[in-house]
Amino acid sequence: MTAGDDTADGRGDDADAVDSEASTGDAAGVDGRTDIDTHQSSEFDDGRVDVEDDADAVPLGESQTLDPAVRFYWIVRSVIRAATLAVVALLFATVLNQTILPLPVRTVTVTVFALFATLGVARSVLRYGSWAYAIREESLFLRRGVFTQVQTVVPYVRVQHIDTRRGAVERLFGLSSLVVYTAGSRGADVTIPGLSPARASSLQTRLKHLAIESEEEDAV
Amino acid sequence: MSPGGGDAAPPGSGDPGRGADDTLSPDEDGGRPPAERRADTRTGPRRLHPLTVAYQLGSTGVRIGVVALFVGAPGLMAALESGRVEYVASVLLLVLVAVAAVVGYSGLSYRRFEYELTGDTFDIREGVLSRREREIPLRRIQNVDVSQRLPERVLGIAEVRLETAGGGSTEAALRFVGVEEADRLQADISRLRRGAVAGESEAADARAEADAGEHRERLFEISPKELAVLGVVSIDPRVLSILAIGASLFFDSVPKFVEPSVIGGPEQLITRLFGPVASLAVLVLLALGAGVLNATRFYGFRLERDADELRYERGLFQRFSGTIPLSKVQSLTVRENVLARALGYASLTIETAGYAPGSNGGDGSQSAVPLAERERALALARSIEDAGVESLARPPKRARIRYAIRYSLVVAILAGGLALAGRVGLPVPPWYVALLFAPLALLGAHLKWLNLGYALGEDHVVTQDGFWIRKTHVVPYHRVQTVVTRGTVFQRRRDLGTVVVDTAGSSGLFGGDARAIDVDAGTAASLRESIPTSLTAALATRRAEGRGSR
Repeated sequence: MTAGDDTADGRGDDADAVDSEASTGDAAGVDGRTDIDTHQSSEFDDGRVDVEDDADAVPLGESQTLDPAVRFYWIVRSVIRAATLAVVALLFATVLNQTILPLPVRTVTVTVFALFATLGVARSVLRYGSWAYAIREESLFLRRGVFTQVQTVVPYVRVQHIDTRRGAVERLFGLSSLVVYTAGSRGADVTIPGLSPARASSLQTRLKHLAIESEEEDAV
Repeated sequence: MSPGGGDAAPPGSGDPGRGADDTLSPDEDGGRPPAERRADTRTGPRRLHPLTVAYQLGSTGVRIGVVALFVGAPGLMAALESGRVEYVASVLLLVLVAVAAVVGYSGLSYRRFEYELTGDTFDIREGVLSRREREIPLRRIQNVDVSQRLPERVLGIAEVRLETAGGGSTEAALRFVGVEEADRLQADISRLRRGAVAGESEAADARAEADAGEHRERLFEISPKELAVLGVVSIDPRVLSILAIGASLFFDSVPKFVEPSVIGGPEQLITRLFGPVASLAVLVLLALGAGVLNATRFYGFRLERDADELRYERGLFQRFSGTIPLSKVQSLTVRENVLARALGYASLTIETAGYAPGSNGGDGSQSAVPLAERERALALARSIEDAGVESLARPPKRARIRYAIRYSLVVAILAGGLALAGRVGLPVPPWYVALLFAPLALLGAHLKWLNLGYALGEDHVVTQDGFWIRKTHVVPYHRVQTVVTRGTVFQRRRDLGTVVVDTAGSSGLFGGDARAIDVDAGTAASLRESIPTSLTAALATRRAEGRGSR
């Protein structure tokens, strides 16, 4: 026995423990699934997921939408963006007005603001409609995109770690995002925005368990 | 290979006045079993090559010296002429102090840099003021590269770089060690890594085997003909055409803008005639220069297979070598640019999670066969990942219509631009000249379509795209990270979609991802589901076979 093998053995034991736990959990998960099909009960808690609120548990394989509040968050964000652009337009138009081109400064500013705000609001609403995610048996599935529709499949085997994030404005709206990291080089992080904090942390725990369940030596 | 001086061994570990020794107290070895101890006695903490300090000081000294010559000398002369000797003296003193400080610091940092190859980790202790101690598990090391530039070869020293999957840059670089030490490190890391990865008994076997002798299998050696072709085709045809277009536009339009009213005239005729010729000559020279440079970089390229890893060597003036563990290979890419394709040649890149081609800046695709006859390149690819890259499914024909429209739009915009410019009064050809490019647009659409494709093999997914540089990606299912499908507004209008298969190896910078572009939307959706399923199956198989996924 070498020192290196000792640690390897230790790891193996851990993995075994997790496996047995996971397999019991699996059985519970199957039960939970059938239950959820008949009545949307809170029995989905399969014993592994320490959810703070049972209503926040995500049923397996069902398409989920984001928290409707995220629309308002996106709308506020796009209005702020439109306002910023309007200010830039105002400065630009003023400069132009005084030098080469006599522009109606106020009209330009209002038009820029109205245009971008409308576009932003429309996009926010459409984006909300386009977003869906699902916790499937072996992978996380995301669908999103208004103009370019994107679907992503993240096998749990490949999950490196999972973060929840709450930006300042997001917190005002009582929202949270979940970021899933893989070793992949492109789009190394997969983000689900617009989750209630409780659901975000429940998802985080659940995905963590699913990732451990399907764990490999090395996810690269 | 190495010109003299390569045998200057780094100082042994028996140097008394070292404070850093406390960190590697001997009792660390106490609990280790005999096999480990044997490995340790052979390694022990080591220093970099003593010439390192001189070389680094020398190279920075030359740089600073050049600056000083241009900036300092005139000032010094002026000061001397004005007779302020005490001023000059104090400046010189300051310079001396600064030089002494730099030399002292270099010496200290050399003394405070130590590395050690233990049985299962590679340890580095470094830093004068802030210390940094690292232990890199050998089984996590992806590539070990040794490089020697020209001055380093003259001095008989080399740089060793260790790559791991974490982080964006090289994990550890030893600048510099003796050539023999570099080769020893490369070989020992490979050998110990084999031991660290395999089980206990296997490890002993592997060690015995490795100790018994090196039996390397030569997989590939570049032929002089291939080297010559490499020189010819290595310049990017896109760069060439952009340069050509730019040059011809410049030489063509300058006289017109200068004298819009005059048509003809002797001096203009000369510019018109010689402009393109001169620019062509410059281009040919540039291309030749790049070609020769590339040929020297890849001179003597050799790829060998040693048990479970690949080893490459290349370089005429510089010398590069590296190891790629086969168990770390993420994907393969066969690259053929237009010229190479016409001549029947291709290059092969082996991607690991350590680095992807291009991520290391100047040296580019390091773990790649720069150029080989197409058949040889493909045979080599097959020997690493056995996947067929010949029969690929092309996208539906409606995708071609999409490209035809896209390229025709470019022509239409060109025509519109010409019409507008003509109306404003600029001396441009009439708008309908642009229509001459319309057939080109159609041809381009067909060529683009012709070079797209994908295939699902038994163990691999293969994708292909690119006309100017055709890239064929081979991704083993067990290396797939995520699968993404995308559909832009225009794609969805024609019921098409793109499938992106992400691995840990490909680089985003060069668009190195394997993607099946413009496949039928339904196909895209089924690929999105079937590839992760194949991944799960492949992992299960590998686990059952006990190979794991290292």
